[in-house]
Amino acid sequence: MRVLRLGAVITTAALVFTACSSSPSASGGGGGNVQEVKIGVDLPLSGGETPNGGPTLNGVKLAVSKISVPGYHVTVEAEDDAVNGVHDPNQGAKNIQTLVNDSAVFAVVGPFNSSVAKAEIPVSNSAGLIQCSPANTNPSLTKPDQGAKDLRKTNPDKIAYVRVATTDDIQGAAGADIAYNVAGAKSSYVVDDTETYGKGLADVFVDQFQKLGGTLVGRDGAGKNVTDYTSLLTAAKAKNPGFVYFGGVTATGGGLLRKQMISNGMGSIPFGGGDGINDGSAATASSFLNLAGPDGDMNSYSTVAAIHDIPNPDQFKADYKAMFNVDPGAYSASAYACTQIFLEALGKVGPDREKVRAYVTDTTHKYNTALGTLSFDANGDTSQHIISYYKFDPSTKDWAFFKQKDFGSSGS
Amino acid sequence: MDPGYLLQQTINFLTIGAIYALIALGYTMVYGIIELINFAHGDVFMVGSFVTLTVLTTLGGTLGFDGAISNPLLLAVVLIVTFLVAMAVMGIVGVLIERFAYRPLRNAPRLAPLITAIGMSFILQNVVQVIWGPSPVIVPQIIDVHAAIRIGDASIRYLSLFIIALAVVLMIALQVFVRQTRLGRAMRSTAIDREAAMLMGVDINTTIALTFFIGSALAGAAGVVQGLYFGNTVFTIGFQAGLKAFTAAVLGGIGNTTGAALGGFLIGFIEVASTVVGFSRWSEAIVFSILVLVLVFRPTGILGQQLAERA
Repeated sequence: MRVLRLGAVITTAALVFTACSSSPSASGGGGGNVQEVKIGVDLPLSGGETPNGGPTLNGVKLAVSKISVPGYHVTVEAEDDAVNGVHDPNQGAKNIQTLVNDSAVFAVVGPFNSSVAKAEIPVSNSAGLIQCSPANTNPSLTKPDQGAKDLRKTNPDKIAYVRVATTDDIQGAAGADIAYNVAGAKSSYVVDDTETYGKGLADVFVDQFQKLGGTLVGRDGAGKNVTDYTSLLTAAKAKNPGFVYFGGVTATGGGLLRKQMISNGMGSIPFGGGDGINDGSAATASSFLNLAGPDGDMNSYSTVAAIHDIPNPDQFKADYKAMFNVDPGAYSASAYACTQIFLEALGKVGPDREKVRAYVTDTTHKYNTALGTLSFDANGDTSQHIISYYKFDPSTKDWAFFKQKDFGSSGS
Repeated sequence: MDPGYLLQQTINFLTIGAIYALIALGYTMVYGIIELINFAHGDVFMVGSFVTLTVLTTLGGTLGFDGAISNPLLLAVVLIVTFLVAMAVMGIVGVLIERFAYRPLRNAPRLAPLITAIGMSFILQNVVQVIWGPSPVIVPQIIDVHAAIRIGDASIRYLSLFIIALAVVLMIALQVFVRQTRLGRAMRSTAIDREAAMLMGVDINTTIALTFFIGSALAGAAGVVQGLYFGNTVFTIGFQAGLKAFTAAVLGGIGNTTGAALGGFLIGFIEVASTVVGFSRWSEAIVFSILVLVLVFRPTGILGQQLAERA
């Protein structure tokens, strides 16, 4: 009993001591008038999505460590929207609400997936908290003729969502360009994962592929719960396609689909997809190339809805590698750019959410970012309409960039 | 439609149906003997696929393989070891689940063990996440996935033939065991009337534990098949597979082992057939619509009997 009481006294004393010692350091930590502010991040950060969210979050962290804004100490508040290893729109909506409730958060980088963005935009729009997505590509998120006004009902004319990735009406056209002109296929079979991003991308691919003169021999869809594509692929094989295009991401079946194509004797048919399958080399756990099994004959293409030839690639890569000891991911520079824009706004107008939102969405502003100079249109879409093309390289077992194409104003 | 194509799709449905059937047997056996819908059973299958992964990577590390094994003797040895280990481990896991999660609740209201079963499902998923991680992982495919017999346009893979043959052999073995042996008779009598069986000298606890062992071992075998056929596993596969297998068990007549096997192949057939006719996006809706129709007109399932004598 006595020992117990003594223990209680010591604990209480320790608590008091910590409380005393921590409070002065909190107010004096920055050395005077430095204000603590946060950049919120919402990305899929666990499970099969780690290759997507991890390098993107690192882009934010790198920018925050490289760029200082006088008078402010900026930290990163990251939320994970993956549930059981796969991005989840409901979790995304909860996360954005958490960030809205944190008054120190003045802007949010994310999300990664279009389906998550659909759940988040109504929340950030009504709260007036600016979001910048490094990777969302579904057109319906921004374009009024595709239903974007329904997402920003509360403040239809005060957009609170911008993105530095270009849209799938351009990315899908790039996929069709690869299938028809690079792979030389005159016919294609298209499979999607039935989600916002995947189905939207596949629809554009079909449309553009037919415009180029190609034939669609079949179209199918399989949700993320499907693990057996054998019968679907048997049906596809019977139609003898020159190209198979997948609208979706690795976590919703991209890797499994390609793997089963190879084991069903369809490995020689070229395969393509969007940025959803461009998620690192075969050595990256849960990446498309890892799950598909990098056979020598794996004839695969993918695209990324962002510029590849960034203004200072060597500098960016070196900085990134110095901090994280690995090469940047496909959307690291994009996340860096989003953060740059937010930090510029913070320096100009301070951390007031409405002022930051108004600054970032001002269509007359031109931003100098890691991706080059860009601006946002009235819907929040980037002025850069560039798609990077990648092909699987058996020698490095990784995606090899081979071309970037500027689609100019054709998509908007 | 081209006959080669139909033959190919027939093999596809038999292969996926074999996996469903192996899992469905465990559902139906457990329901038959203690009237519990063992919701953790799909996850037993999932854990089995991870045990397979560990066995194959360990053997691969010492014997030096990382994919298809070309030496037939070595392949046979590795297959036998993998199946024995996975089935034994999952059998023991099944017995432990019964001993600690279900037996204490055997006389509790029906809802209590149902909730424990759901709880066990989550526990197994979390344990796997801790041990093997939450990401999808690659399982070495030791049977060459490309090796096939060509019949016209169709190429019938040895892997598919192996899976179908294995499932059929295991099902026949189960039938023989249940119908011909003393322990099988104990299982059947316990299923019909537990008290009467006890009065006749049947050790109820051992018999129920044995049922769990066999059902879980079959799910373990299905876990090995998952690894061989898909070369991939993730901790979430148990739920979907379990749901399909449970449906198969109900469709065939829950409590009836022949019905469960039939139900498994039937679900495989419906799925593949919906792809063949071009409705693969609707395959799940079609599967469950047929389930509803069968249950409306035959509430006990296709081969189910009236279970009248239950108190």
